[in-house]
Amino acid sequence: MTTTQPETIPESFRPVEFEVTADGQGFLVGSRCGNCGAHFFPVREACAGCLHGDLETVRFSTTATLYTFSVVRQSTPQFEVPYALGYVDLPEGVRVLSQLTGRDPEDYELGMEMELVVEPFGTDEEGNEMAGYRFRPKEGS
Amino acid sequence: MTGVHVLGVGMTKFGKHPEADAAGLGAEAFQEAVGDAGIDPRLIEAAYCGHVFQGMVTGQRILAQVGLAGLPLSNVENACSSGATAIREASLAIRAGEHDVVMAVGTEHLTTKFRGALTPDPSDPEAAVGATMPSIYAMRARRYMEDFGMTRRQLAMVAVKNKRNAAANPLAHFRKEITVEDVLESRPIADPLRLHDCSPVTDGAAAVVLVSDRAAKKLGHERMIRLAASTLFTGSVDVEPTPMTFEPLTHKTAQAAYEKAGIGPDDVDFAEVHDCFSIAEVLRVEGLGLFEQGSYPAAVERGEADIGGRLPINPSGGLLGKGHPLGGTGVAQVVELVRQLRGEAGNRQIEGAKVGLAHCRGGKAVGIEGAACTVQVLVK
Repeated sequence: MTTTQPETIPESFRPVEFEVTADGQGFLVGSRCGNCGAHFFPVREACAGCLHGDLETVRFSTTATLYTFSVVRQSTPQFEVPYALGYVDLPEGVRVLSQLTGRDPEDYELGMEMELVVEPFGTDEEGNEMAGYRFRPKEGS
Repeated sequence: MTGVHVLGVGMTKFGKHPEADAAGLGAEAFQEAVGDAGIDPRLIEAAYCGHVFQGMVTGQRILAQVGLAGLPLSNVENACSSGATAIREASLAIRAGEHDVVMAVGTEHLTTKFRGALTPDPSDPEAAVGATMPSIYAMRARRYMEDFGMTRRQLAMVAVKNKRNAAANPLAHFRKEITVEDVLESRPIADPLRLHDCSPVTDGAAAVVLVSDRAAKKLGHERMIRLAASTLFTGSVDVEPTPMTFEPLTHKTAQAAYEKAGIGPDDVDFAEVHDCFSIAEVLRVEGLGLFEQGSYPAAVERGEADIGGRLPINPSGGLLGKGHPLGGTGVAQVVELVRQLRGEAGNRQIEGAKVGLAHCRGGKAVGIEGAACTVQVLVK
């Protein structure tokens, strides 16, 4: 009988903004104002709405609506082109920039329902693969 | 409180200057502005230097070149609004009564600092997922096309207009007119934007001598132009997502400038606005209240923004045609306003202009609509 090695989960490429759980789920992380309930991405020290300083760090929903997008054809050496990049609106009232995945880069539509997926996103200084987030169209979208 | 006047202006040729550096270009613009003001350089009491990527104490290196090391000087960084912020700081020093004659200089040797697409600071979460400045504006263009029915051809006409104006400006980076087809066939950068929709990587510098009412009485001349307002704001953090097709930051900065100058948008005869991308000009003129929201693409098509049109926009060629040496840009806009208001703009002269407006907007940080925005109003 052979035992399978438990698969190691790659670490988040940006631990402050993106949490990868032990079972491989990914969550964008930001702030929720304890006074007025406004949400912010990334984490803030004080609420931009009411200036309250009592902010709680929270995980955001993993669904979103595509507000707009572009296909990037010239970028820095860190990123292989082309890639689709879009602003997605989360149900918490937060707009987040993310790469898009799951379709050909030209094949997205404004207003599409999207969901967060954890995907390989570059490597750390020792060459280990890192985990990042992208949004893809929900099935049937 | 004292008024502020532009006594002298100077500007290098914009373009690629492999033989020069940022301090050398700044010194050239500085000397021209002193000569144009017609003053003894020893009358300059303080200086502000705007630049982004030129490293420590670039302003001091300029002063050393022109023999004026020893003056109080602050280097100012506010991304693409750095030069405009230097002018604002200089004007505040005069309005506060601290100085009577102040130099504002902006410079950038950009060709040695980067190539390709400019990005937000690498530490920013948006840069970390692949944001480039062209892609941010491309996304705004796509949404504007969706919301207001702008066509790709209409957007191309902004670039065509500005490069036509640049062809008439001996100091511009580009001196060649282009067609709508040239824009639509140029290399794609970030859909729907193409190469001709983007401002180039440019070296250059510009400088202005500002004076108080008191100094103007002694040193003033007929070609002096009043700086009626110089306003600056930074972008707010959105509490709810807002349309990326309108610029509350530009609107707020303009309203403050109109109030200070005692004018409204209808009084503006022409404007230099921050057209880092073709779509940016659309967003800016509408945010400034110079055109109603959603109306500018058709207005450009009708020639309303041409030199000789109802409200000329970017007669210098703008960032698209004249070039965009980040720190130099905001100062060069004011140089253009002054030359137009004096009647010294040659074959791109706007006849009878009395009020000119300059707008800069620069930088991107996650969650903020825009990093720094300035509006200057100059009145003949």
